[in-house]
Amino acid sequence: MKLDNCISERINKKIFRDGNKCIKLFDEVYSKADVLNEALNHARVEETGLNIPELYEVTRIDGKWAIVSQFIEGEMLSDLIAANPKKYDEYMELFVDIQLDIQSKNCPLLSRLKDKMNRKIDLTELDETIKYDLHTRLDGMKKHNKLCHGDYTPSNFIITPDNTPYILDWAHATQGNASADAARTYLTFCLEGNIAGADKYLDLFCKKSATAKKYVQSWMPIVAASQSVKKKDKEKDILLSWVNVVDYE
Amino acid sequence: MNKKNYEIVDSTEKLEKAIEKVRQAQKQFASFTQEQVDKIFLAAATAANKNRIPLAKLAVEETGMGIVEDKVIKNHYASEYIYNAYRNVKTCGIIEEDKASGLTKIAEPIGVIAAVIPTTNPTSTAIFKSLIALKTRNGIIISPHPRAKKSTIEAAKIVLEAAVAAGAPEGIISWIDVPSLEMTNLVMSEADIILATGGPGMVKAAYSSGKPAVGVGAGNTPAIIDESADITLSVNSIIHSKTFDNGMICASEQSTIVHRNVYNKVKAEFAARGCYFLTKSEKEKVGKTILINGALNAKIVGQSACRIAELAGVTVPEGTKILIGETSSTELSEEFAHEKLSPVLAMYKAEDIHDAFNKAEKLIADGGYGHTSSIYLDVITQQDKLEEFRSRMKTCRILVNTPSSQGGIGDIYNFRLTPSLTLGCGSWGGNSVSENVGVKHLLNIKTVAERRENMLWFRAPEKIYMKRGCLPTALDELKTIMDKKRAFIVTDKFLYENGFTKPITDKLDELGIQHSSFFDVAPDPTLACAKEGAAQISVFKPDVIIAVGGGSAMDAAKIMWVLYEHPEADFADMAMRFMDIRKRVYTFPKMGEKAYFVAIPTSAGTGSEVTPFAVITDESTGVKYPLADYELLPNMAIIDTDLHMSAPKGLTSASGIDAVTHALEAYASVMATDFTDGLALKALKIIFEYLPRAYDNGPNDPEAREKMANAATMAGMAFANAFLGVSHSLAHKLGAYHHIPHGIANALVIEDVLRFNAAETPAKMGTFPQYDHPHTLERYADVADYLGLGGKTPKDKLEKLIAAIRELRHKIGIKDTIADYGVTEKDFMATLDEMTENAFDDQCTGANPRYPLLSEIKQIYLNAYYGRTFTEKEYPKA
Repeated sequence: MKLDNCISERINKKIFRDGNKCIKLFDEVYSKADVLNEALNHARVEETGLNIPELYEVTRIDGKWAIVSQFIEGEMLSDLIAANPKKYDEYMELFVDIQLDIQSKNCPLLSRLKDKMNRKIDLTELDETIKYDLHTRLDGMKKHNKLCHGDYTPSNFIITPDNTPYILDWAHATQGNASADAARTYLTFCLEGNIAGADKYLDLFCKKSATAKKYVQSWMPIVAASQSVKKKDKEKDILLSWVNVVDYE
Repeated sequence: MNKKNYEIVDSTEKLEKAIEKVRQAQKQFASFTQEQVDKIFLAAATAANKNRIPLAKLAVEETGMGIVEDKVIKNHYASEYIYNAYRNVKTCGIIEEDKASGLTKIAEPIGVIAAVIPTTNPTSTAIFKSLIALKTRNGIIISPHPRAKKSTIEAAKIVLEAAVAAGAPEGIISWIDVPSLEMTNLVMSEADIILATGGPGMVKAAYSSGKPAVGVGAGNTPAIIDESADITLSVNSIIHSKTFDNGMICASEQSTIVHRNVYNKVKAEFAARGCYFLTKSEKEKVGKTILINGALNAKIVGQSACRIAELAGVTVPEGTKILIGETSSTELSEEFAHEKLSPVLAMYKAEDIHDAFNKAEKLIADGGYGHTSSIYLDVITQQDKLEEFRSRMKTCRILVNTPSSQGGIGDIYNFRLTPSLTLGCGSWGGNSVSENVGVKHLLNIKTVAERRENMLWFRAPEKIYMKRGCLPTALDELKTIMDKKRAFIVTDKFLYENGFTKPITDKLDELGIQHSSFFDVAPDPTLACAKEGAAQISVFKPDVIIAVGGGSAMDAAKIMWVLYEHPEADFADMAMRFMDIRKRVYTFPKMGEKAYFVAIPTSAGTGSEVTPFAVITDESTGVKYPLADYELLPNMAIIDTDLHMSAPKGLTSASGIDAVTHALEAYASVMATDFTDGLALKALKIIFEYLPRAYDNGPNDPEAREKMANAATMAGMAFANAFLGVSHSLAHKLGAYHHIPHGIANALVIEDVLRFNAAETPAKMGTFPQYDHPHTLERYADVADYLGLGGKTPKDKLEKLIAAIRELRHKIGIKDTIADYGVTEKDFMATLDEMTENAFDDQCTGANPRYPLLSEIKQIYLNAYYGRTFTEKEYPKA
C-alpha cells in the first residue's frame, strides 16, 4: 500500500488514497479497541445492504492501525451544496431521504444509542444536577432499534459520477431512536453556524418522517451533552445553553 | 435547625439498607391505632408548621428560585391545610361499617411510598407527602432533586423527628442524600407505590418501574377573560397567581386569552398594576431566552420578571411584576405558548368567546393535557359559556374567577376542592388519578362483605273477590266506589257467543256504565289481535278494562291495556330477559293511568288474573314475547265459579294440571317464601282432592269447581311472587314447536323435572343467596307429607309424590308421553336442539333451584318423548 496521496488530515488520523483503496491511518494514541470497533461497526452496517464503501482489511502499517476500504470516487454533498446553492433544496431532500433509508434498517448487534448517551453524559464536565436531569430525560425516551449513523452530515455523504449516494464514516453508528440521530445532525449544522440550514433540515426531517418537532427537540440537550465530551472551546457556550434546560414540572 | 446525625445514603447498597429499615418500621407502624396515628400526624404537622420560615429560606438559598415569603405560604399550607383536611378522617382499620347490609370497609396502609420531590416546591411537597404518608401508616422514602436536596431532606428530617417523638417508629421516613437516577429508580422499583412529582422523564420512569404510580404532569394553564368578567378582579387574580413564588406552581397561568371587547381595558389594568408589555423585539429576545430548542432554560425558572428581562437584555422598570408578550400564535413554535415556570405570560386577543375556547384548547393540547384551565366571567348571566368551557377543556381542574396557582391546590379559593400539592391529571396527562391527590390514594381499602339474603315480596291485586255468584256484587264497586263510566270487555268468541259476558254487561247497564266488547281473542293470542283490540279501545276510551276468559283472553287484554296506555312501548324491550326483576335494564311503563283492570277467569288454571305475566306472539315473525312486570298485575280479580261450571273436560284437565305445576314450581323456586309456600301447599292439597271430581262431574259439582277455582288463583299468587322453573321453560317451547296445550306440556315433563331438581349433587345449582345448598328433595318431601302421601325417607316421599301426580294425570285423562300426543319422532328430533336452547333461555329457568345444562334439558325432553325416567350422570364418589 502506498501512502503518498493524503486526501484528508484530521486530528490523530490521516486518510490516503491508493488507487481504488482508501486507507484510514490512525496515530499511535488511538485506542486499538476504537479502531477495531469502527471496523466492526462498518462491517455490520455493510451487511444491511446500504450503499457504503466495502471494508477490505484492518491492518498495521509501521506500528499504526489502519482500516482499508473501497475508495468511492465522487463529490462530497457539502461541496456540491457550496458549489450549487440553487440546488440546495434538492440536495437536502436527498440528504433526508437517505437518512430515513438508513433509519429504516435494523442492525441488532450494534451498540445501543441509549447506552452510549448515558456513558457520554457521565463523561461530561457538567455539574451533577444537570447530569441527573439529563439521565432522567434520557431514561424517559422511547427505546427504538433503528440504525443511527451518529455523525450524519453532508461531509460524510458522497455522490458518485453516476449519481449513486454513498455514506461514509460509520465509527459512531448505533441502534436506537432516530430522533436522536436527527437531533445530532441538527446540532452539527448549528455548530457550523448554519442555523437556517439546521432549521430547514429539521423541518424536512420532521415532515418526511411524520415526527413532531418537539420530539426531536427533546433529544437536543442529550446530543449537546454528548458533543461536549469533545471539549471544543468554541462550542462550549452553545452546548451549555442547550444542555441547561429543565423539564416542566 | 436540625442537628441529629443520620447515616448518609449515597450508594445503592446503603439505599437498600435504608429501604429495608423503612420497611421494618412500617411493619410496626401498620399496627398503630387511629389515636396513635392522629397524635403523630398532629405533632408532625405542628413541627413542619413551626419551621415554615427557615425551610422557605433554605429552599430559596439552595435552589436560587422563587420567593421566600411565598414559600413560607406553601410550607404553611402543606402543614396546616393538610392537617386540617385530614385531622378527623379515619385512615386506620374500620372506616365504614354498615351492619344491616353486612358491609365493612377497612383501611390498610400500602407499605413503603417512593416520593420524588421537585425543585420547584422542595420543602412544601416533602412536608405534604410525608404528612399524608404518616396519616395513612405508610413508610416513605424521599428522592430529592439534586438541585434541592438539602432543603428537601431538612423538611423530611423535621417531620420525621416530630413524628418519632410522638411515638412513630424510628426510621419511618428516609431519604437519599446523594441523588442519582440509579437510586431514584431503585427506590421506585422497591417501593409499593410511587408519588412522583417531576418532569415527564421522572413521571415516565415512575410509570415504567412496574409499581403503581400516582404521577403528575405538565400544566399549561390558559386563563380566559370574557367580556362579562370583572376586569379588576380578573387581572389582579392573574397577577396574584402568576407572581406567586415567581410562577413556579404548575397550575399557574401561562397565558391569558382576552375577549376583544375588553382587551384594551385588561391591558390597561395589567399595566397599571406593574406588569410590563414587551415590544415586538423585546418579546423575541425574551422568547429566545426562556426557551431553548423547545425546552425551558433552567436559568429563568422561578426568577423575577426583572431578572429574566436582564438575562434577555431587555430593560424594564424596577419592580416589574410580570413580563407580558402579546401574541396570536398558539403553535409550539411560539415560545410564549409554552409552560414558563416564571412570571412571563402570553396574552391573546380573542375575536369572540368561541375563538377563546379554541385557543385554550390548543394551548392545553400543546402541553397541559389534564392539568388546569381557568376562566373569568359573570357566572350568573353566562352559564351557557361556562357550560361550553367545562365541556371542552380536557383538564381535571376547571377554575372559575380564581387565581389558578392558589386555586388549583385547593381549599384556598374553594373549600370543597381537596388541598394537595400533587395534582392528578387523569389519563389525559398519563396519570392514574384525575383529582387532587390525598390520603385515599395511599390506602388499600378492604371491603368485607357478609352474605345477605335478598329481600323478597308478596304482591297481589289490590282486590280479589271470590265466591260463587259474587260477580254482580264485585262489579258494583266500579260505580259506587270508583265511579267508572266506560268499560271495555275483552273475551273470546266462544264465551261471547255463549252469553258468558251477558251477566257482566247487564250489570254494567244497571250501573249506567257504558261498555263495548272485543271478542276475537284466539288461543295463543297474537300481537295483531291485541293491536286490533287496542285500536278499538283507543277509540272507545274506557276507564276500566274487563278481561273475561282463560289465560289467552286475560293475556290479550293485558297487552291491549299496555298498548292503550303506552302505544309507543316496544315489545322486544319489554320482553328482555332479566336475572333479577328488580335489577332489569328495562323500566316498564307505568300502568293504570287511563284504565283500571279487572280480570275474571272462566277456567281454573292459568292464574293470569293474579299474575304479572302475559305472553303474546308476533304472528309476523312467530316470536313469542313473554312479558313480566308487576305493572301488568290486574287491579281486581273476581273468582266466580258460575262462569266455570260448563268448562269442557279437556280444558278442566289441562288447566287443572297447569295449576299443579304452578304450585310445585313455586314451592321449589329459589324465591319461594313462607307466604307463597302456604298458598302453594294449600292449592296442591285442594287440587289433588277436587280436580278428579271437577273433571268427572263437571257442571254437576259446584263444590269441586269452586275449590278448583280458588286453588288455581292461589297457585297463581304463589308463582306470581316465587316465579316458576324449568318445567315451564320446557313446556313453553314444547307448546310453541309442537302445539301441545300448555297444561298438558307441563304434565308431560313435570315428573322428570321433579327428579332432576331433587338431585343432591346437581351439576350446577341455582344462584340465589337464600338457596344455600341443593335441598329441593326435602322441599318435595314436604309437599308429599302435606298431601299425606306417606313414605319414610325423602327419596321415598319424592317417589310417592311423583306416583300421585301420575295417578292424578291418569284420572284426568292425560297421556304419558309426547309421542302419545301425535308428535312424530322425526319432527321432534328436528326441533330438539333448538327447543333445548330456547327452553334453557326461557325466563322461567332463572328461578329453578337447579341451573340446567343444555344437555340435561335435552335429556328431559327425550325422556318425556319416550317415557323414560331422568337418571343422574355418575359423579365421582367422595
